[in-house]
Amino acid sequence: MADRFVRFDAVHKEFHGKTVIGDVHLQADSGEVVALCGGNGAGKSTLLRMLAGIIRPTSGTITVGGLRWEDDRRKYAEQLGYMPDDYRFSAGLTAMETMLFWAKLRGLGAARVREVLELVGLSDTGHKPVASFSKGMRQRVLFAQSLLAKPPLIVMDEPTNGLDPYWMGSFVKLVRQAAADGQTILFSTHQLQIAEVLADRIVFLRDGNVVLDGTKAEIREQFGEKGLQEAYGSIFGLPDMG
Amino acid sequence: MRDIANVASREMKIGFRNPWAYTFMALFTLFMFSLLLINAQGYVNGYSGASSTMLNLALYLLPLMALMLGSFSLTGEKEEGNWELLTTYPLTTFSFLFGKYLGLAVVLLVIVAFGFGLSGVVGWLIGGGFEFATYWRLLVFAISVSLYFLGAAMLIGTLARNRWQALTASVAVWFFLIIAWPSVLIAVLGMLPYMWIKPAVTVLTFLNPAELTRLYTVVQLGGGSTLGPEYYEWVGWIRSAWGSPVFWGIMILWVGVSLAISYLVWERGRGHG
Repeated sequence: MADRFVRFDAVHKEFHGKTVIGDVHLQADSGEVVALCGGNGAGKSTLLRMLAGIIRPTSGTITVGGLRWEDDRRKYAEQLGYMPDDYRFSAGLTAMETMLFWAKLRGLGAARVREVLELVGLSDTGHKPVASFSKGMRQRVLFAQSLLAKPPLIVMDEPTNGLDPYWMGSFVKLVRQAAADGQTILFSTHQLQIAEVLADRIVFLRDGNVVLDGTKAEIREQFGEKGLQEAYGSIFGLPDMG
Repeated sequence: MRDIANVASREMKIGFRNPWAYTFMALFTLFMFSLLLINAQGYVNGYSGASSTMLNLALYLLPLMALMLGSFSLTGEKEEGNWELLTTYPLTTFSFLFGKYLGLAVVLLVIVAFGFGLSGVVGWLIGGGFEFATYWRLLVFAISVSLYFLGAAMLIGTLARNRWQALTASVAVWFFLIIAWPSVLIAVLGMLPYMWIKPAVTVLTFLNPAELTRLYTVVQLGGGSTLGPEYYEWVGWIRSAWGSPVFWGIMILWVGVSLAISYLVWERGRGHG
């Protein structure tokens, strides 16, 4: 399986001597959509941030298209689009100006910016200050910037936070289209229904370790018809709602 | 080069839409204007009470302005998560830092030019004010001080984790280099053997860009005799043909070293994560 597009090999991460990612082995093929699920502090964001090249693993290797971040940072970055979970937009810039700044860094122009703003339904609000946008609109801007260069890998941290049902549906469509075009997508989510609808493969993380990795069919086979919900309950336990 | 221009252009847009920039601009212009009115009866030529007051005004205000605008801009990138996102782009740390420096420099220089320009035009209209060469030298002084301290601001913004730390460090650096410097200099020199005083003055002056720029401008304005015997050699070299090239060379070196240290710190953070 040496030709898999994304590979985590024995990836381990410590912060100030505390292990946050145990010993993760994970792969994704071109055109595959992989959801990372787990409770708070499970290590989902840390894994994605390592994949995006923001932080380095303490040990182990991550490759994207056979390339490690350490080999060639620029080429590595050219292969991916990243959508952060926690981002505050600079005051004073419009959505168009903000997007154009990012686009230029990828060698793209205003035409592509208009195209992706159209995709996420913000073409009419491009001239407005982006800092004044609602949470959902800001998420859509961040999603749009990850799509800018049509990269072979899209990494998204909690991409559906703050999206209303309409845009949740559009988001699902856009991600499916990207996967159909051969783009690999890895995203983290707390919303099991999104993982269920969108992902080809679901990875459950607990305390920085992969505790379950399988397709929806495999998970259903193992945990019954309730699938993900049942799997989540048996791995993490669900609170008694009375 | 394209990335540097892109980062600089974004910085200018943010800078010119930042209310802080206009507060500083209004404050600086108000002070310049007040000085002009106070001096409305006279005509300033070379080093005088009015030009030294203007020198001190710029010396108090501009370094603080540069330190705060510069360091806040860099810590803002960290706090807002923009730097983290930019590390996923094919953008080098050098392009990011140098682009920010250039963009902020343009914002600062526009503030300075506006303050000087408005006061100059009003002075010319009311028929008083400053001789052109004197005014030009004071403008060069203000530009130099701004650019020097913007370099220091990049270093503070690099080392500080958030705006509060940046504010504290900026005020501390400003207080030490501008307000406390004469007392510190006298105290340090007082502890040294007589033979060491001249070399110590030279070294310490090169370490404080505000003092270096002030000395350069005072000498250029013809006020070298007011500086005291320790500085007679300074008057000699500043007035020589090499004076200005050496001064600008030191400035480029000072800003370059500040940016180089900032670069190494940001790169270290990027490499270790």
